[in-house]
Amino acid sequence: MELAWYALLGLFFASYLVLAGYDYGVGLSLAGNADPGRRRAALNAVGPFFLGNEVWLVAAVGILFGAFPVLEGELLSGFYPIVLGALAGVILVTAGVQLRSRPAHERVRARWDRVVVVGSTLAALGWGALLAGLLQGVPRHADGHIAGLTHLLTPFVAAAALATVALVAVHGATFLTLRLPAADAAGAGRLARRLVPVAIAAVGAATVVGLLSARVRETAQRPALGVLLPVALVAALLVARVALARRRPGVAFAATGAALALPVVLVGATLWPYALVSTVDSGASLTVADAAASGPTLRLLGWLALPLVPALLGFQLMCWWVFRGRTDGRAPVYW
Amino acid sequence: MDTLLLARLQFATTAGIHFLFVVVTLGLVTLLVGLQTAWVITGKQKYERLTRFWGQLYVINYVLGIATGIVMEFQFGLNWSGVSRYVGNVFGAPLAIETLVAFFLESTFLGMWIFGWHRLRRGVHLALLWGVALTAYASAFWILVANSWLQNPVGYEVRDGVAHLTDFGALLTNPTFGMAFGHVVAASLLVGGMLMAAVSAYHLIRRTPDYALHRTSLRIGLVTSALAITLVQGFGFAQFGPVGAVQPTKFGAGDDAQATIAEWTAQFGPGDYTPPVLASVGLGFMILIGLTLGTLWLLLPLLFRDWIIRLRVPLWLILLAVPLPLVAVILGWLAREVGRQPWVAYGLLPVDQAVSPVGAPVMLVSLIGFSLLLGTLAVTNWVLMARHAVRGAHDPALGRPPGPSADVPTEPAFV
Repeated sequence: MELAWYALLGLFFASYLVLAGYDYGVGLSLAGNADPGRRRAALNAVGPFFLGNEVWLVAAVGILFGAFPVLEGELLSGFYPIVLGALAGVILVTAGVQLRSRPAHERVRARWDRVVVVGSTLAALGWGALLAGLLQGVPRHADGHIAGLTHLLTPFVAAAALATVALVAVHGATFLTLRLPAADAAGAGRLARRLVPVAIAAVGAATVVGLLSARVRETAQRPALGVLLPVALVAALLVARVALARRRPGVAFAATGAALALPVVLVGATLWPYALVSTVDSGASLTVADAAASGPTLRLLGWLALPLVPALLGFQLMCWWVFRGRTDGRAPVYW
Repeated sequence: MDTLLLARLQFATTAGIHFLFVVVTLGLVTLLVGLQTAWVITGKQKYERLTRFWGQLYVINYVLGIATGIVMEFQFGLNWSGVSRYVGNVFGAPLAIETLVAFFLESTFLGMWIFGWHRLRRGVHLALLWGVALTAYASAFWILVANSWLQNPVGYEVRDGVAHLTDFGALLTNPTFGMAFGHVVAASLLVGGMLMAAVSAYHLIRRTPDYALHRTSLRIGLVTSALAITLVQGFGFAQFGPVGAVQPTKFGAGDDAQATIAEWTAQFGPGDYTPPVLASVGLGFMILIGLTLGTLWLLLPLLFRDWIIRLRVPLWLILLAVPLPLVAVILGWLAREVGRQPWVAYGLLPVDQAVSPVGAPVMLVSLIGFSLLLGTLAVTNWVLMARHAVRGAHDPALGRPPGPSADVPTEPAFV
């Protein structure tokens, strides 16, 4: 039961990173784009999916609260500054994308676009840092609380956060290659191809720093899966690069999407059976089973999730299906 | 400054801003459903234009609703980790249900609705708005179930200091829930209706060329708010009995309150168990505003032969009255939430046990940072809403037919 809920939590958070990941990637791409028309076209390529993408985070935190209340409290308060940064980023992107076209002046719109760039960067940094923080363990004491916040200040957290920004940027550019009108997609494709080596270098750097960190080595319950993560990421990035060169943006998008989902899956699997591994007291590590809500709550939520999750996925699929294909002159423009 | 006070201030700020936006969302979406349904059934262009105009204002308002909603959701874990630890098994369930049943679907539907103009069949497009509205109501329902549990914890048993769910049905039949839900929904309709009437009144005062359009929305808004204020009053006064019975300290210091405080002192040790006076002040002024707004009924006869427009003074009154329901909403929230102090979960979990063990400096940075961020966004959002309301209904961006000229703003610049 706990495993099923943990998997569902992972599914929602990974889906959030994949889907909102391209929102943030497109957001980052605004930084290097001086042409107002193209900036707006990029945002409207995300268009109908934007709101539906962001709420995967809301649902993930809902599941975290309902099914893993103890983990929710410890994780969010123990990673306070990181969660704060990511949250500020999410808010800035949410408001920026939706409001940027409401003023009519290009100067004001350009200012909103900078808000979106800053927000996208913060969100990508934050979620990358959160996953890295899980992988390097937390100073959880016998009283069940994580002490202090300085445990987050490590080179590994910084390197992994930067690598996430790079992954998100590649993912966003790949999305635009897939979705913009064919004439504009070539430019996005070139950008994505140029970003792939940057992302590989960033993942490589994070890997080296991680392997050198004793905390990371000791926290990993299944080191083989931990090592598999960077290997799989590099493989996905290479697949994306080849697919982009061969003008197969769909394949490339699947690959960059996998590169954002894999960290969630493999970090979870590397730490299993723990959700939080303590670096100061091995007895204080929090197992997934202990973090979960008690039986009656999980059963209640389970009966509810059974019909609900397929419905949620169904309506998201409907959205993707209705608005599939490249944007063109017939596509509504609102953002 | 201690962590607890900072955490409480942050919760009050975020929840207060959130509430101001969600009541407007809930009220406007109901009116929008009516407008778009009328458009699809009658095919009249008037209703299409009203749907686009009010849809645009609704969508702008929604931005801050969702942004503050996300902050609210995270805040429990960030600042109140004790809530998850001690009562998360019970309190977490309705919140999780809300995110999945309501929040998630509401946004998915809304994204499709915004970008579905001229692309989806009319029936499908209308169904999406109905979906947005129903999930918005579901959202209010489950959030109030969760909030009512904090007001009056039911359906649980405590084992090893942690609350476990025993009877989920009791959460739904909680005496602090039903009337409060009706009260909040009616208040949302009041806010939405008065907003619609006020914006229309502004255009009628200014004699904008769109006379027929704004006359229609004035009538819709006014009738809605008159009906709503009566419901607000009814559901409001109906709460005194059931809430007073389970929360003796909320409305003053009678014998029941003294007995309850004596009980708590025995169980939890001595402490200040009387809620701050702010709660009763909020309650008093809210009732005052509620009774004042009852005079909306006096304006209804003036709809006959458009006397309300010809006399003009009523239009000014409607315009000036628009902050009143929003102020009342905040005061009512203060009465309900401050009246629960010093408890997170009434009689079960005191606030000082629920606050996260983070340092005061971190909490202060969080409070200042998020208050500034959300405050700035809220003000910007209202300015944008006001500008779009003033601009009128001649060509809202929402539902504009796609075409090569869509990127070029056709409306006069108001920046």
